[in-house]
Amino acid sequence: MESILKIEDLYIDYRVRRGLVKAVRGVSLEVYKGETLAIIGESGSGKTTLGLSIIKLLPSSARISQGKIWYQADGKKYEVVSLDGGKLRKFRWKEIAMVFQSALNAFNPVIRIWDHIVDTIDSHDVKITKEELRTKVLELLRLVQLDPDRVLRSYPHELSGGMRQRVLIALALLLDPNIIILDEPTTALDILSQRSIIELLKKIKKELNLTIILISHDLSLAAELADRVAVMYAGSLVEVGSVYDIFYRPLHPYTLGLIKAVPTVSTSFRELISIPGSPPDLIDLPPGCKFHPRCEYKKEECLREEPKLIGVFPNHYVACYRWEKIKDGKNN
Amino acid sequence: MDKKLRKFNLFFSSLKDTFRLLKRNKIGFIGFLILIFIILMSFIGPYIVPFDTTSRLDKIYVKPSWEHPLGTDSQGRDILIQIIHGGRDVLIVAFLTGLLSTLIAVTFGSLSAFIGGRLDYLITSLADIVLTIPHFPLLSVLAAFIRLKSSFMIAFILALLSWPGLLRAVRAQVLSIKERDFIEAARALDLGTSYIVFSEILPNMMNYIVISFILSMTSAVYAQVGLILLGLVPLASHNWGVMINFAWTRGAIFYKNSIFYILSPIIAISLFQWSLISFTRSLEEIFNPRLGQGV
Amino acid sequence: MGDLKRELRKIAGSVILKRFLKSIFTILVVVTLTFFIIRLMPSNPIQIYINQLISQYGMTYEEAKTLAASLFSIDLNRPIILQYLDFLKNLWKGDLGVSFLSRGTKVTSIIKEFLPWTLFSVGVSLLISFTLGIILGMLIAYKRGGVIDFIITSLASILSSIPNYLIGIMILVFLGVQWRIIPIETMRGSLSPGIKPGFTLTFIKDVFFHASMPILTYVISTIGSWILTMKSSTLSTLGEDFVMVAKARGLKESRITFSYVGRNAILPLFTSLTISLGFIVGGSVLIESIFVYKGIGWVLWNSIHSRDYPVMQGVFLIITISVIMANFLADLLYSRLDPRIRTSGGE
Repeated sequence: MESILKIEDLYIDYRVRRGLVKAVRGVSLEVYKGETLAIIGESGSGKTTLGLSIIKLLPSSARISQGKIWYQADGKKYEVVSLDGGKLRKFRWKEIAMVFQSALNAFNPVIRIWDHIVDTIDSHDVKITKEELRTKVLELLRLVQLDPDRVLRSYPHELSGGMRQRVLIALALLLDPNIIILDEPTTALDILSQRSIIELLKKIKKELNLTIILISHDLSLAAELADRVAVMYAGSLVEVGSVYDIFYRPLHPYTLGLIKAVPTVSTSFRELISIPGSPPDLIDLPPGCKFHPRCEYKKEECLREEPKLIGVFPNHYVACYRWEKIKDGKNN
Repeated sequence: MDKKLRKFNLFFSSLKDTFRLLKRNKIGFIGFLILIFIILMSFIGPYIVPFDTTSRLDKIYVKPSWEHPLGTDSQGRDILIQIIHGGRDVLIVAFLTGLLSTLIAVTFGSLSAFIGGRLDYLITSLADIVLTIPHFPLLSVLAAFIRLKSSFMIAFILALLSWPGLLRAVRAQVLSIKERDFIEAARALDLGTSYIVFSEILPNMMNYIVISFILSMTSAVYAQVGLILLGLVPLASHNWGVMINFAWTRGAIFYKNSIFYILSPIIAISLFQWSLISFTRSLEEIFNPRLGQGV
Repeated sequence: MGDLKRELRKIAGSVILKRFLKSIFTILVVVTLTFFIIRLMPSNPIQIYINQLISQYGMTYEEAKTLAASLFSIDLNRPIILQYLDFLKNLWKGDLGVSFLSRGTKVTSIIKEFLPWTLFSVGVSLLISFTLGIILGMLIAYKRGGVIDFIITSLASILSSIPNYLIGIMILVFLGVQWRIIPIETMRGSLSPGIKPGFTLTFIKDVFFHASMPILTYVISTIGSWILTMKSSTLSTLGEDFVMVAKARGLKESRITFSYVGRNAILPLFTSLTISLGFIVGGSVLIESIFVYKGIGWVLWNSIHSRDYPVMQGVFLIITISVIMANFLADLLYSRLDPRIRTSGGE
């Protein structure tokens, strides 16, 4: 498996009135070419910040205090954290495209959809004729199952939420990026639109040879689309493994809690357990393992020093001192 | 008895909190202090410092000195004393206008929004019409017909033109509050229209009403001083506007040494306006804490 | 042909037509109010004038009445409703009566002579003030928290609290009297004597020479609020999702600034444009008088002082109608710029 993205020991802070928010703390992660990786975590876990840092699109109050992000594809190699100005601008969308949560307001309200496409092409050094562009756009719109005549001439407010999400995905594929990051692609949509977007993503995954990074709080999304899952909590990774490992052999109490909290068709009311407590304050973090206040497996060592992410099985990593207990516990 | 005492303590402590929040926005706080100063100066000042109207022709347009901190005017009278006495009329008219137009705007705006239908349509159309007519020409023309003798009359005429802006805003606020749950509850309890409007909706809009009141004062000052300048209001008393009118009609503007006579009322009026607006800005920040919050 | 029909149908059902009708209706209301106020007020000007004619010129009541009626272009013997309709008819024909003061001069010709100067000065001022205001406003939004932001915001805040006529007086006092930078005596009037109107450089230079101080006053007194409003509008637009998405798409900074942030930030300001226009025109009564700039505001002031009622009435109507029409045009412009208004047809 060839590695296309390598995040090395990344630390990101936000400066707010109250203090310093440690949003991402020492994250190291590798993404392989052609895979679909899901980064799962609840609100405030740092997953969106992590996603934004991959294209270095953080707000001005944020600071990457440490770490590197290596991108390698088609014989090109970039270190994202050190990219700036024109190089960073051209890198974005061409190499890595990020689709945000709310496509509802992703478009400039005063120009048409076609203008958005032209804007994107004009800003990158892409040698393409008008004819070729037209053909490509028609192809992409067909892929996302939208009617080109209806969509291209329209203004954004004339399209429904689901349609806008699809247009955004088509726009993301316009420059043939190697990686596409999707941040909460289904959250703002109604349940029918959610289903159709998931099917669309499955289709894209099958037909195009893309690396997909999915950021979500929704585990079931990961179950449908991901090859590998990385679970994030309070700014750091707590478990990384294949989708089967995560779902059938979870090793971290948080992962276990997440799985138990997702209702399935066969779940009865009594079996649904939510994780007690709430995520920690990222300005004032508890000592040791950040999950310990909510953990039922905690022991003394958990309060002293934060566990590191270690590979306990092939391609299965966990940051917990009690992983063996959880492994056995589940099997009971 | 105990309940009353508790209510008083609560009121007092909320005042203290408001005061503390006020200090956060430094410029707004300065505006607030200047405002209080001007009010005190204009209402209490005249009792402390009497206005000596005798002309002293040997002291025309004297430059500022310890004896006359702002110099003297064309008749040798002290300018600072005139400034102290000159604010009262302006402030009274501004306050009355604010009161009247806020009263009209709030009452009719909320009734219009709450009752809806034809009444709403009528009132908003009327508001739109009054809003599109340029105010100052209309006021000037009206002043030609109606002798604006008392402060109350002036305030009344000014209020007649300034209510639409506020009414529209109040109406919008009420419309949004109207749909909220606690209003539904009041309706379900069959609590009567006027009760709902006055006891449930309005208290929630207090912040908004206060800000609108202050802003309408600024437009009242503009209109009033403008009318005085044009000579359309009988120059009975000696206020800031009258001072500028005298400066203009008696040629003080074109005379080099009379600059303090002309500048003092201008600065007094501008300072008053500025302090009102800046105080409003800090009130806005207090009432809507999400504004100006840069993370 | 089918396209034309579709366009016409779109216009007919559109918001534009409704707004236009509303403007016409407002004008009608103003005209009606003016008529009835002049006729029915206790100290009604016609009555006053008649009394004046009787006492000053020794006319009989009948003679005075006829003269007054002709000056106002109304027939006092007919019932009031018919007088009202006559008034409307005359208005439509463009007959606004004859001036009391300079008898023999029609009000319409007075308006024709002085209105263009006001339109010119107000128009140029609005253009300069708006353009400079939005550029500066956007600039300090981008450089938020810096020194430039603090200076410009403070200045804008102070300038916008001072009444515009007081700024005019201060300009007169400082630039004209104290520092003697501008020759205020020769700047009076809207045109120097002897200069012929036409598209010559001398004419244009002279026009700007005379209009410069009023324009400066209008610009200084209105630019503050444009700057502050544009700053806040730009700041809120910068926080919109589509701006972040535009950056993620790798769009050029210039494209984002103008077509994404700029075009959207400007939209809310157009509603203020109409208010600003009405306000400047209102202030022209005072400002033109201060600088003796002979436009329609100056005429109104003169006519009020000399109790020249037909001129007062005519000028007031023209000022109000112009502002209402200008508001309508601004609404039209806004709907052209914001596609969301165009198609949805909502308020």
